[in-house]
Amino acid sequence: MIAVIGAGPAGLAAAMTVAQNNEQVVVIDSAPRPGGQYWRHLRKVEGYKSGRSDKYFRALEESKKIIYIRGAQIWSAVQSENAITLNYLAAGIESSITVAKVILATGAHDRALPFTGWERPGVMTPGAAQALLKGHNVIAGQKILITGTGPFLLPVAVGLAAAGAQVAGIIEAHSPLRWLRSPVALLLNPQKSIELIYYIRKIYQYKLKVSFNRAVIAYDGRAASIATVDTELRIKETVSKIDCDVIAAGWGFTPDVTLGGILGCQQVVDRDGTVIFAVDRDQRSSATNIWIAGEATGIGGADLALVEGRIAALSALGLAIPARLRLARYRLQKFATALQVSYPVGNGWQGWIALESKICRCEEVSLGEICASVSELSANDARTSKLFTRAGMGMCQGRICSRNVSEIIAKQTQCEVTEQERIGYSNRPISAPISLGALANGIK
Amino acid sequence: MSESTGADLSFTFNGDCYEGAPGQSIAAALMASGVRELRTTRFHKEPRLIFCGIGVCFDCVVVVNGVANQRACLVEINQGDEIVSSK
Amino acid sequence: MKNPDAIVIGAGILGACSALSLTNAGFKVLIIDRGTVASGTTGAGEGNILVSDKDPGPELTLALRSRDLWFELQEDVGDSFELEAKGGVVVARSDDSQLLALARSQSAHGVVTEKLDSKRLHELEPYLHPELSSGVFYPQDAQCQPMLAAARIIQSVIARGGQLVTRSKVLGFKTENDAMSSVLTSTGEYSAPIVINAAGTWAGEIASLAGSHLPVAPRRGFILVTEPAPQYIFHKVYDSEYVVNVASSDADLQTSTVVEGTRSGTILIGASRERVGFDSTMNYEIVRKLAAQATSLFPILRDVQLLRVYRGFRPYAPDHLPLIGEDYRVKGLWHSAGHEGAGIGLAPGSAALITDTILGRPSFMDPAAFSPKRFAEVLQ
Ligand SMILES: Cc1cc2nc3c(=O)[nH]c(=O)nc-3n(C[C@H](O)[C@H](O)[C@H](O)COP(=O)(O)OP(=O)(O)OC[C@H]3O[C@@H](n4cnc5c(N)ncnc54)[C@H](O)[C@@H]3O)c2cc1C
Ligand SMILES: Cc1cc2nc3c(=O)[nH]c(=O)nc-3n(C[C@H](O)[C@H](O)[C@H](O)COP(=O)(O)OP(=O)(O)OC[C@H]3O[C@@H](n4cnc5c(N)ncnc54)[C@H](O)[C@@H]3O)c2cc1C
Ligand code: FES
Repeated sequence: MIAVIGAGPAGLAAAMTVAQNNEQVVVIDSAPRPGGQYWRHLRKVEGYKSGRSDKYFRALEESKKIIYIRGAQIWSAVQSENAITLNYLAAGIESSITVAKVILATGAHDRALPFTGWERPGVMTPGAAQALLKGHNVIAGQKILITGTGPFLLPVAVGLAAAGAQVAGIIEAHSPLRWLRSPVALLLNPQKSIELIYYIRKIYQYKLKVSFNRAVIAYDGRAASIATVDTELRIKETVSKIDCDVIAAGWGFTPDVTLGGILGCQQVVDRDGTVIFAVDRDQRSSATNIWIAGEATGIGGADLALVEGRIAALSALGLAIPARLRLARYRLQKFATALQVSYPVGNGWQGWIALESKICRCEEVSLGEICASVSELSANDARTSKLFTRAGMGMCQGRICSRNVSEIIAKQTQCEVTEQERIGYSNRPISAPISLGALANGIK
Repeated sequence: MSESTGADLSFTFNGDCYEGAPGQSIAAALMASGVRELRTTRFHKEPRLIFCGIGVCFDCVVVVNGVANQRACLVEINQGDEIVSSK
Repeated sequence: MKNPDAIVIGAGILGACSALSLTNAGFKVLIIDRGTVASGTTGAGEGNILVSDKDPGPELTLALRSRDLWFELQEDVGDSFELEAKGGVVVARSDDSQLLALARSQSAHGVVTEKLDSKRLHELEPYLHPELSSGVFYPQDAQCQPMLAAARIIQSVIARGGQLVTRSKVLGFKTENDAMSSVLTSTGEYSAPIVINAAGTWAGEIASLAGSHLPVAPRRGFILVTEPAPQYIFHKVYDSEYVVNVASSDADLQTSTVVEGTRSGTILIGASRERVGFDSTMNYEIVRKLAAQATSLFPILRDVQLLRVYRGFRPYAPDHLPLIGEDYRVKGLWHSAGHEGAGIGLAPGSAALITDTILGRPSFMDPAAFSPKRFAEVLQ
């Protein structure tokens, strides 16, 4: 049997492809409902092609070939000679399943950058605002400011506005003119321009205010301070304040490589510093019988995730991969590269933070403490600084802060972050907390 | 703030009564009622709400029926739940 | 730094303590590490400073002296590394005769022990399993935060004229007539007549680079770290089988739990012992065993979640005693390595022994038992 881990676009496409070819597939996902990060609808939400998830959701419910295990988080996995055992927790109870092949589609979460005041209630990621709206029918606050960089801010803003939220503005750090650097990617992906035009129309319809080359650099609990920034995100000057009770700030995405890392799948550092899985042209990982699709192999959006999911499934089934699928992936990967070129995340954000601002939200470690671990205790990488300050040792295990800590230390020590360090801070031996009682019960 | 989807579950948070809809997370139900603080931090006692909203950051942890460090953004409410802020 | 009097290889706890001890004796010391402070086993273990787990003999003498030196060191450095005389509670699982016999012989050698009946045991540790009824309390057992300790100690060395060079890997040595003359590293050549090999689990490689031998091998250990929890555990608590395992030469996996709370609220559960070379793959069966042992001591931990597991490689010698003293071939090359699962606890005493021996002055004990020369014949 094949197991698909993750029920986002990539996992759903993979599962449906397997089922359509009359093979049994089990889909395991930690969320209570399918859809992953982007397709999480409790009800219909306004957005481009927002109905296209329906057929996948229906297949999960109806196909006899698909077993769907929801609300189940895989905390560890072990590969033996010709089987892979996945240990998962559902409602605090541990179970495990052993399969022949695995397709990992574990996706990504928003990357967050610290700024002065980002610990305050109301500051969240766009993913959080979107999940509240789509998944739980709740608008995050009275006046929502959307900021960061990238086209993924647009569906969040439009979805919120359409649901009746008051959107205080969209503050985008880069200029749309940067797209002109990637003419080929645009020509290869005319459908993306149509999508963009859709969102521009919606922005007019809802009278959303969009400003470019700016960023939120501080929040005092009532108003956000806005500064103009250069392409490295360095502050040029503080220009205004905007009242808001929610700031949704997103700076691209961080794939969760933990589970694949546990299974020994090889990782590489993408050109923007993100750690992703290395896969071959059939989405095969370096580990036997494990395929990987979607954001975990590089951030590219839902369309690319769908194509990769189908390719991974066909390859896992030993079937031929149609040339048009490969071509579609090629086109969308070009677009993904253009995204990186258009919306780079430079290191200028380090100038937005007060010394007493927390960098590690879990263990409440401040910028000042991290700097002191370098200047006083000779730390020269994220691991050592963590041992001294506890930054990255909290409940999230560095998922939110470790990259930022690493960049801060690199700047302090005037070194580049090494590939080894990036892969080091992206991995952890346990992919979700599990109670000691459950562990003890699971003894063989 | 929420367009009601038929709030018909009741639960308590730090002793006060709240309502929510089936399928809603603890965080969503509380935020719909205007709650802006789910817990205070361990060391500096600062207020926190949600951050990632999808179970990654653990900023939203609460005690649910006596079990500590549950992610309010993930755990769905059940009738009669007793929820307390982590401190 | 031009012409240091001594070079210390390794910025782990043994390197740090050796460097400070030499500095305080008037030496100009250069510390070299291929990584940075605490990037080896010192950053991958726990900070127990135990006398309770040692049989009477040279190691216990070293441990007792070291334990006192830790408190002097804290005064000397003047900065905190979370040193705390927490006390250890050793619990007998069933038959307590072995444990009590050990405690009796230890107390004859200067270890403070208190036999615990059921009532007193549960006063000290109210969350212990109610059926556990006998144990021994060791008030001298202490703990520190070893990475912070190494860093703070090295800071003092630097403040007193020493130097630390990080990201500098030792690649070889120059010797003249079998006497040390300089260390060749990835960042250049450094000359000194005295070199201290404090490279921990990798000390054998360093000895080979100098044309000598040192029988140090890795013994893997996993440690579990939980989410922050209320204070359920008040001392270092372990079961008496731990002592048996520490001394064992068995290559197979052994798990015997030491459970303790930390200042940040997390609970540490360690540690397994097995000889599998430098194999760093996760073994979830070990994780389960450690969890089972911890929850059988403290049932309340069943609801506490595991957050993280980390592993380290203890440096050990065939007879489980550290290697402290001059090399049997190369003059001026001194070793302080192979402290296995007790390197933190034994570091200040080991450093004092080395400095005293280099200076040819009497020390608090005869260092002969630890001399690397004890393996000279076997190895040649
Ligand atoms: C706010 C926001 C806006 C976005 N807007 C757009 C947009 O407009 N257009 C677009 O194309 N893309 C958008 N995206 C990007 C989005 O991430 C991807 O398009 C899409 O969700 C990727 O699909 P995926 O299948 O790779 O992963 P995901 O959708 O991230 O799904 C991964 C799934 O795996 C599950 N999982 C992970 N680890 C485990 C585990 N250990 N055990 C069990 N389950 C696990 C997760 O719970 C999740 O359900 C947006 C993302 C966000 C957060
Ligand atoms: C799981 C576990 C739990 C433990 N718990 C305890 C405990 O509770 N109490 C206790 O006392 N002990 C404990 N220990 C043992 C203790 O951690 C070690 O004995 C001690 O850290 C060894 O210190 P060291 O300075 O000799 O070695 P290390 O800390 O390993 O330092 C050696 C240094 O040498 C450097 N180095 C190596 N090769 C080179 C080279 N070629 N060039 C330059 N530099 C080099 C390394 O980078 C490293 O920094 C535990 C160990 C483990 C694994
Ligand atoms: S808000 Fe991040 S885990 Fe709940």
